[in-house]
Amino acid sequence: MLNKDRVMLMTRMASYEAGEGKKHMDVVRFFKGDYIAVGIIKAIICATISFGLILGLYVYYNFDAFMSNMYDMDILAFVREVLIKYAWFTGIYVLITYIVCTIRYNISRRKLKRYFKNLKVLKQMYDKQ
Amino acid sequence: MTQLLEIRDNIKVFFSKYDVFIIPVFKFLLALIMLIMINSKLGYMGRLNNAGIVLIVSLACSFLPTGAILLFGSLFSMGHIFALSPEVAIVVAVVYMLIYLLYLRFTPSESLCIVVTPMLFVFHVPYVIPVVMGLVGGPASALSVICGVIVYFTLHVVTQNAANVSGELSDILGQIKLIIDSLLGNKQMLVLVAAFAITTIAVYIIRRLPVEHCWTIAMISGAILNMLIVLIGSLVTKAGISFIGILFGSILAFLVGKVIEFFRFCVDYTRTERVQFEDDEYYYYVKAVPKMNVAAPDKKVKNINRSRKTYRPEPEKTPEEELEEYYEDEDMTIADDGSEE
Repeated sequence: MLNKDRVMLMTRMASYEAGEGKKHMDVVRFFKGDYIAVGIIKAIICATISFGLILGLYVYYNFDAFMSNMYDMDILAFVREVLIKYAWFTGIYVLITYIVCTIRYNISRRKLKRYFKNLKVLKQMYDKQ
Repeated sequence: MTQLLEIRDNIKVFFSKYDVFIIPVFKFLLALIMLIMINSKLGYMGRLNNAGIVLIVSLACSFLPTGAILLFGSLFSMGHIFALSPEVAIVVAVVYMLIYLLYLRFTPSESLCIVVTPMLFVFHVPYVIPVVMGLVGGPASALSVICGVIVYFTLHVVTQNAANVSGELSDILGQIKLIIDSLLGNKQMLVLVAAFAITTIAVYIIRRLPVEHCWTIAMISGAILNMLIVLIGSLVTKAGISFIGILFGSILAFLVGKVIEFFRFCVDYTRTERVQFEDDEYYYYVKAVPKMNVAAPDKKVKNINRSRKTYRPEPEKTPEEELEEYYEDEDMTIADDGSEE
């Protein structure tokens, strides 16, 4: 005979498994440190590309000024300034990524724990029958 | 109210039953409207103005993930701007790439907001989006709204300066400077970015408060806050934003918010229950607010013209026949000597 509670639990679990659960499983298959490290590496790459794009646009925008001051400007000071800005930009972005990845991992783990708990409940229901 | 609740439940049932068809149709329509808008507003590349291409791309969007709508939208707009001026297209490409690299790769599901926000600007009702995103999204949705505003103003600046940037190739730097200056110096954009971001976060925070009618309070205060920030910002920066537009937009935002509330958070505060209990470690003060629900009317279909079968009682079985039937059910046979096998 159909067990209403069991069917409800199974439906809820199946819906989780097909939707959010997939994402959470992808996250939790890593160790927390590994997941955050991968996130940070990706963040550094993205921040570097973004900074490069912004810098390129800035140089393109001020091309006339660069060309006219090319021989007068202190290139080392300019490079140092650019590197400091790059470090700030990347640092802040990496920090945000670290926070996002940590929160995301914790949420995924908590929800998957609940899912596995429900699996146990479901098994108990079957054993009872 | 009961009728409305019935209609709501019927709509919900209908959507859950036919979501396999409804979602692709919705995606198709969204992509179609977006591409038609891009073609009508930009429309510099003749090849992309083809109705066949628009239809094919919209059809493709209907079965691809939601992010594909944003991808095709950005490709179409880039194509048009490239036909206008390749240098300006580089600027627009950089804006798109920055949005993707810095924000969208974290939350691809928010791409829908970035698609819808510029569309609402074209319909002159952008004030709806911060209230709606505050109600249905999270605090991070403020970033999606900001990205949507930036995308709209980037395209808007290009269309406004189309006559200036499509000139001679000799003034490439001038074209880029013009676009970047127009974009960064756009006071209207800055005011709207600030107003929308603050409104989205405020609406989100208020709707999460544990007070009665929090959704209604959130949308009213959000609409008023948005109106105030835009008005003050417009006065201070002389951005020239229309007051009537803000007023109508805010009223519309409230109405749309009410519709969303009806579908997502319809509760009956008059039947609120407060219970108090305790265990070894805590006291619990629980407030339970029941959802407004109506039982779907139980419809029974009765066929009147159907031919009725006359009831004929089965003939009574003899004990031998009953025993034989029993053995057949139990999958046993009776041996000739009467023993069971």
